[in-house]
Amino acid sequence: MKNVLALPLRPYLAALLTALALMMPSASRAAGFEELVARLPEGGYSDRAQTIDAIARTGDPRAAQLFEALLEGRLHARKADGRVVILVEGAAGATAIDALSGESLGEAPARSTERIKVNNRLRGMLRSAIGALSLTSPDRETRLRAAQSVLKSGDPADIEALDAALSAESDREVAAALAEARAAAILNAKAPVAERRAAVAILAARGDAAAQAALAPHASDPAIVAEVAAALARIERTQRMWGVAQNVWYGLSLGSVLMLAAIGLAITFGVMGVINMAHGELVMLGAYTTFAVQEAIRGSAPWLFDFSLLIAAPLAMLVAGGVGIAIERGIVRHLYGRPLETLLATWGVSLILQQAVRTIFGPNNREVGNPSWMSGAFEIGQMTVTWSRLWILIFALAVFFALLLVLRRSFFGLQMRAVTQDRPMAAEMGIDTGRVDALTFGLGAGIAGLAGVALSQIDNVSPNLGQSYIVDSFMVVVFGGAGNLWGALAGGFGLGVVNKFLEPWTGAVLGKILVLAFIILFIQKRPRGLFALRGRAAEA
Amino acid sequence: MARIIDRRMAIFLAGLFILTVGLPVASSAAAGELAPAYLVSLVGKYLCYALLAVALDLVWGLCGILSLGHGAFFALGGYAMGMHLMRQIGPRGVYGDPVLPDFMVFLNWQELPWFWLGFDSFWFAALMAMAAPGLLAFVFGWFAFRSRVSGVYLSIITQAMTYALMLAFFRNEMGFGGNNGLTDFKEILGLDLTAASTRTGLFAASALALAGGLLIARWIAASKLGRVLVAIRDAEERARFLGYRVEHYKLFVFAVSAVMAGVAGALYVPQVGIINPGEFSPANSIEIVIWVALGGRGTLVGAALGAMLVALAKTLLTAWLPELWLFALGGLFVLVTLWLPRGVLGALEDGLGRLRPARAAAPEEARA
Amino acid sequence: MSGSLLYLSGVSKSFEGFRAIDNLSLVVLPGELRAVIGPNGAGKTTMMDIVTGKTRPDEGEVLWKETVDLTRADEVETARLGIGRKFQKPSVIESLTVAENLELALKGPRGVGATLFGRRTREEAREIERLLALVRLEEARDALAGSMSHGQKQWLEIGMLLAQDPELLLVDEPAAGMTDAETMRTAELLREIAGRHAVVVVEHDMEFVRALGCKVTVLHQGRVLAEGSLAHVSANAEVIEVYLGR
Repeated sequence: MKNVLALPLRPYLAALLTALALMMPSASRAAGFEELVARLPEGGYSDRAQTIDAIARTGDPRAAQLFEALLEGRLHARKADGRVVILVEGAAGATAIDALSGESLGEAPARSTERIKVNNRLRGMLRSAIGALSLTSPDRETRLRAAQSVLKSGDPADIEALDAALSAESDREVAAALAEARAAAILNAKAPVAERRAAVAILAARGDAAAQAALAPHASDPAIVAEVAAALARIERTQRMWGVAQNVWYGLSLGSVLMLAAIGLAITFGVMGVINMAHGELVMLGAYTTFAVQEAIRGSAPWLFDFSLLIAAPLAMLVAGGVGIAIERGIVRHLYGRPLETLLATWGVSLILQQAVRTIFGPNNREVGNPSWMSGAFEIGQMTVTWSRLWILIFALAVFFALLLVLRRSFFGLQMRAVTQDRPMAAEMGIDTGRVDALTFGLGAGIAGLAGVALSQIDNVSPNLGQSYIVDSFMVVVFGGAGNLWGALAGGFGLGVVNKFLEPWTGAVLGKILVLAFIILFIQKRPRGLFALRGRAAEA
Repeated sequence: MARIIDRRMAIFLAGLFILTVGLPVASSAAAGELAPAYLVSLVGKYLCYALLAVALDLVWGLCGILSLGHGAFFALGGYAMGMHLMRQIGPRGVYGDPVLPDFMVFLNWQELPWFWLGFDSFWFAALMAMAAPGLLAFVFGWFAFRSRVSGVYLSIITQAMTYALMLAFFRNEMGFGGNNGLTDFKEILGLDLTAASTRTGLFAASALALAGGLLIARWIAASKLGRVLVAIRDAEERARFLGYRVEHYKLFVFAVSAVMAGVAGALYVPQVGIINPGEFSPANSIEIVIWVALGGRGTLVGAALGAMLVALAKTLLTAWLPELWLFALGGLFVLVTLWLPRGVLGALEDGLGRLRPARAAAPEEARA
Repeated sequence: MSGSLLYLSGVSKSFEGFRAIDNLSLVVLPGELRAVIGPNGAGKTTMMDIVTGKTRPDEGEVLWKETVDLTRADEVETARLGIGRKFQKPSVIESLTVAENLELALKGPRGVGATLFGRRTREEAREIERLLALVRLEEARDALAGSMSHGQKQWLEIGMLLAQDPELLLVDEPAAGMTDAETMRTAELLREIAGRHAVVVVEHDMEFVRALGCKVTVLHQGRVLAEGSLAHVSANAEVIEVYLGR
């Protein structure tokens, strides 16, 4: 709201809102409203101003929509019968709906209606009226938004409207927002010192950037200087706390991604001592599987879209796991005991996979959509949490614990641990170590595929997807300690959080460089990572 | 001396000599431009790669340290030379600033950062092209080898090192031209970089550097120190219990190798006309490893040959069938590790059976 | 104890709660030949790791010639002090020749510069020939160490130990994988070199220990169970129980 425009309107509005608060009997109000609307197209701007004022006084719930249409130039009068309509632009052209009943009147060809014009003065008036009307709107969200916008403007002229709205408000959250908005207005209104002190306290309790902005101009107000200073300090503390919480959240979110990408790597390295450089490309395959599933759904069964990820996850695990087993049987198997050669050969595989995907799907980013339950965000206090990130965190932890369960409780897990700890002995006891190796590699690869499904939701799906995670996931493995799931968990989340805490100070790139440097130094101290493998296996 | 220049070294040096004399002659006007002029710079570039491969073979083949970050030393050498060439542009840049390179003017910098001082001198730049990578290798190696980080762990942190440097050099604030790197060079030692004679000179210098690098590497390999390095590669524990300070030896050979890589980078930049942070990418560094593996790990000469072979294949394939290049390169990694553990040179010599199997050559098995 | 070459007192070492060495005390005199026997997990290898500086003990004293604290030395330092070690699994440099293996082991400067510029002197060549004869590998002089048989590798490693000219040789299961004739020859060789060098042999093979004919220390669960001649310890009830089971 522009104050220049709003100023001359203040007396008006105050009166209007008082009237609103009185809640006139509804029957007479409805009649008056329809009549007034019909009168809108007539006369000049000053006539229209009077009509608008009168409409606002009716307090009719339809007024807000009407004013908005008028403000946006979508309120027209039909040339044929003078009926006031709201135009709605669609793909095929404009359609008209009745401004009073909301009933659709079909297509409105370009020259069949005439716009009801407004000038700047009317626009300002409309905005104020909409704001005031919104404070008592039946829609809770609208009231909340209106209260927030008043908090931002802190316009003393709104105090009466706020008082009226407050007395009628039953929702606790909206009431609090209204009280905060009122406090901001009170401060600006140079109200008695006691009231201003109370207002400062209310805003201090709110504790966010809006409250800070409302308080800041009064920092030198001699009457309340101490209170404001204390309140600002308190707000800063609150904000810092929420800032830390937000960083922790970002860190955990990044960490969950890193952990997902690294956990499969930790398995293959831990059990077989194999560094799989194609791991990133297996992640990429998972992401492309998601893309392919979504394409198929878009083409044949769009109603399934919300389930696309649930369908893609097992498929991605199969695809990546299958490729993983093929890599193990075809290449890695022949190179056991030669970790450096394995590293090189799997790097070769990674190049081939990259180029294959580039050839099949093209070199550009492919669009993978969020299902409805993964899009959007919600707020906790002053912290924003996106649904996609939250689901990925949950997913990552679920994968982690499922894997832990497989390793600890299943027969396959038992065999795997046997092979890790003493390969010759395991073979001696009749365990088919070759089969265990292949399945372990396949398991690690399959988890990479799952990571790809998750990553497709927050990152670009391109042939380079794997490359951008490979160094990071190695760092997680090296930091956490190879071959230990808890190491991957601690490494992933630890590095994620450290990264996000460094970023505000140093910028994203420098933060990352510092983290890399830190790890290089860290592994001097603990060459085998945080959770080092123990016993004779570690010597290999 | 006979121990240093063995038969394969003699054959290679002879071939290199013929190439160095023959190619410029063939592409000169006198010979009716038998070979296109651009070949001189192209082969000159290959020779730089070959020197880089020899440097890596020194640490990997001889001492078993698989560095996945040698591209960083190469790039640092290249940047040192690039900085000198930038200073040589002088007021001929787009913005015409007498001192500041174009990208600094563009970033609104008022004066030359301190680390650019001195680079107007060729000899200082040449010294830095060796000192910067050598120092980085020394510091990095001092930390890594002292705490006995080895095997794949070492490989991974060398990769992290070059990755971190890549990210750093991408930043404009670093003062090395950010994304675009350093380019638009005009002249070196007062000679026009586009002139055929300058290009021939750089080509000859690269050939000389390669020959020198090979001889130094071979001298190290043939000395008792070379045998200590082999001992460290084959049985690090044994070397330690024999009383050899393993970390000192590793540090020595790592630093020498880094300096060699830096020289290769410094010769490479004026011939290709650009250096940018992409040279630090981990993929580049791993590619060097495949040159060495293809040629024959531990054979030095084989590493040089491998580099030239792969570079040639890359030039041809990326021109004809760019789609196929990564398939070919990826396939090469797989094939060489599975079926050519001793590389082309090893296979060739095994096949011919004429030459005595190289002793200090490719180990049967690398240890982690 | 006065005049000791190696002195261990109250040494303990645990790995994750497992006491590999438990209050171990041991004295080796200069030139002494000593056999250490004990079942698997008795702490023999850990003891060698501690003496050579590969592992730091949790507590206890390890003294070299009564003055040098070995718990503060690492492998390289103990090697330079004069302690040579042969591993259980033969550890030779497979892609060097037999002669080159011996050359690297020869006593002499170990610095980077010295090895880069040093050349094999005539004396060194003679010493290599002497050692080749001693371990009976003259024929294999120029063959790769990797191409040797298991027994030959064991001897080569013993030869390398001798080339270091250490005052103390720690020899871990030298007879493993040898034929009977080779085993006897090895015992003979160790007896020969004792006197000039102190030798501590860890061994399972009782025939071999008998052939050594020296003082025997029996380790069990990280502690000294018995010490004395083979006949003496063989008569010890505890030793019999440990070896024959209950």
